[in-house]
Amino acid sequence: MERRIDDKTILDKFAEKFCAIVEKHVKYIVCSGFVAIAHGRARGTEDIDMIIEKTTEKNFIALHEDLTNHGFVCIQSDNPEEIYNDYLRNKMGVRYVLKSEGYFPPEMEIKFAKDFLDEEQLKERVKFPLTGLDIYFSSIESNIAFKEELLKSDKDMEDARHLRIIYKGKFDEDKINKIKEKIRELRL
Amino acid sequence: MRDKTHEEQIERWAKFVRDNPDKWKEKLKPFLDSQILIARRFYSKLAESEEGREKIKLLRKA
Repeated sequence: MERRIDDKTILDKFAEKFCAIVEKHVKYIVCSGFVAIAHGRARGTEDIDMIIEKTTEKNFIALHEDLTNHGFVCIQSDNPEEIYNDYLRNKMGVRYVLKSEGYFPPEMEIKFAKDFLDEEQLKERVKFPLTGLDIYFSSIESNIAFKEELLKSDKDMEDARHLRIIYKGKFDEDKINKIKEKIRELRL
Repeated sequence: MRDKTHEEQIERWAKFVRDNPDKWKEKLKPFLDSQILIARRFYSKLAESEEGREKIKLLRKA
């Protein structure tokens, strides 16, 4: 805890390294709890959620090999064909950790985009300078809409309120309502 | 957002804590410290931004 506040933490380094490798192969977004944490929410998380665009098996194998060559390991399997066909194509997530950390947090959970909502989130991804992180996130509108309309736990509602205060006057309420409509149509 | 790999992750960590009472804290501490440091950094940047201090007051009330 002696570090200066502008230093990169182990969580920053883990996330930025992972994202930089993924970006070479597919489009991605980081969403859910880590968005709130990156914006100063004082709450814990055990993993970082990432959505990646659907891609071919060949391209995924290249991505997996790039990750493993940089020290990451997939907890579910070392076999990229199995990860692709048994997990990702079946809409299940897989988790990567740094091998040097021995299967301990932090973890990156990745999933394929599963519907129009995820594809739109990927199209409208953004970086948030206030976070100090070189990472693409899902938009503020999307984060608020998902937390308020789909996830709805106390923690999620508090996250949404937190983001609303930080970006007051800078987000589009109509867009949030349109995303909520789509959530009701596709997810509820 | 939760699926069976999340349940497995909880189980994996709980077993490690159970089986390694002398090791788990040193593994977890840097990870938890990171989250506090990220929050500190964010508030520092927010304070320097337009209306940042007012927003911080609102966040404290929330």
